[in-house]
Amino acid sequence: MIEVSDLEVRYGTHVAASVPALTVRPGECVAIVGESGSGKSSTLMALLGLAEASGNVTICGVDVLRAGPRELRRLRGSKAALVMQSPQAALPPTTRLGAFMRRALKLHGVRASMEEAMRAVLLDPALLRRYPHEISGGQAQRFAIALAIALGAEVILADEPTSALDVTVQAEVIAVLQRLRAERDLAVLMVSHDLALVSTIADRIVVMKDGQVVGTLTHPYTRQELEAVFGAQG
Amino acid sequence: MLKAENVTLAYGRTPVVHDVTLEITPGGVGLIGESGSGKTTLARAFLGLLKPVKGVILYGGRPLTDLRAFRREVQPVFQAESLDPRMRVGRSIAEARPAMPVASLMEAVGLDPALAGRRPHELSGGQRQRVVIARALAVEPRLLILDEPTSALDVTVQARILELLAGLETERLLITHNLAVVSRLCRTSHVLFAGRVVESGPTAELLARPMHPYTRALREAVPELGGSPPAATGAEPVTAATGCAYRLRCPLAVPACEERPEPVAIGDRRVACHRATEL
Repeated sequence: MIEVSDLEVRYGTHVAASVPALTVRPGECVAIVGESGSGKSSTLMALLGLAEASGNVTICGVDVLRAGPRELRRLRGSKAALVMQSPQAALPPTTRLGAFMRRALKLHGVRASMEEAMRAVLLDPALLRRYPHEISGGQAQRFAIALAIALGAEVILADEPTSALDVTVQAEVIAVLQRLRAERDLAVLMVSHDLALVSTIADRIVVMKDGQVVGTLTHPYTRQELEAVFGAQG
Repeated sequence: MLKAENVTLAYGRTPVVHDVTLEITPGGVGLIGESGSGKTTLARAFLGLLKPVKGVILYGGRPLTDLRAFRREVQPVFQAESLDPRMRVGRSIAEARPAMPVASLMEAVGLDPALAGRRPHELSGGQRQRVVIARALAVEPRLLILDEPTSALDVTVQARILELLAGLETERLLITHNLAVVSRLCRTSHVLFAGRVVESGPTAELLARPMHPYTRALREAVPELGGSPPAATGAEPVTAATGCAYRLRCPLAVPACEERPEPVAIGDRRVACHRATEL
């Protein structure tokens, strides 16, 4: 589903991230953790062809680093979806959610039930009539996931998807992601600075520091190895 | 020293905080609640920025009238975005109290005095937050009112700012949705839900054995290192307009909850829940 080898992400001559190997299979959740500047978000951007990078990245059969713009557009819009920290800011403020989703489906030539996608993330389909500022942060985050589902996403790449949310709302969003992994075999690659959170859901945790992968943990995690990661982050 | 007595606060005609009685006691006081619970509104009232429509804010036993002295003694610390982007941070700090040496204030919060000549955007988020704290400390306040002082920061930076705050002798009221933060900095905590205090008590005890179902949901939603995924209720974050505001989300709701529960004292705790004693 996601296969990465010898990835190097560069800003000019500066190497922002270097990832020797990373795999996410259907139904799996893999987390990349690290502090600000560790290269975790740069890695995520490179996986979708949004940063200058070398090496090999294959997502849903697409050779990302060598694909043309058309192929990349198709991948990003439908097979692989990006969920950001505050999707509300990315939604056009004067477009109702339903109109926005309809436009996205049309753009990618996908026929899907918007209501069903909303229900899959436990949102009331009536919210489709709302504007972005009329929904809460947790609803916006679930709407971003609903959009991905409607477009037929097989992979979700999420950058700090819950760090702007209250803990109880975070729990709801995480529960939705967990259910979609189980029911639809969705693969999730999540970037987070919350080691405690990812330790409860991820099959593997990739630890980054100063642009390098300094360790990979595999579930079940021992308390010791998790605390060592905390320690390394100071 | 600072106390809210039966305080109701409103924006226009919409009340957002209802009949809250809460005292800032020594050892740090935490105000916990989700977005929209009214915690920041309450903080604004404690700073004298918002007048109660009912009830009174008492400072040293007297209603807030002389705001001049009060403003020196009670200082706000908000998120770091409150710095003037055009002003060098050294000047920002000096402005608060020109007589205080900037270098020693910067050192007190763990900042290199050499950074005084920088502008806010030339500093990291953690450094900016330290500047905000240094500026508040310049007037040697008796009380700091901290509104989500670390929530915009990385965990590691967060930990260092918490360490700094824990080491200060100034009294504090801390507003946050982060339970880890209150357990570090506050001896007493109050949990706010839909503008009402639903549970109060010693922080350690309150988090270890929550008596209100909402406090319990909050605690169970916090992921634990290597634990199971945070418990979700699957319910929309709705509040009821009548009766107990939490009843529509509450797994323990009974018909009696359509009547608003009055807070009752149970040991050193105060809980507003019909079923508190069963938990």
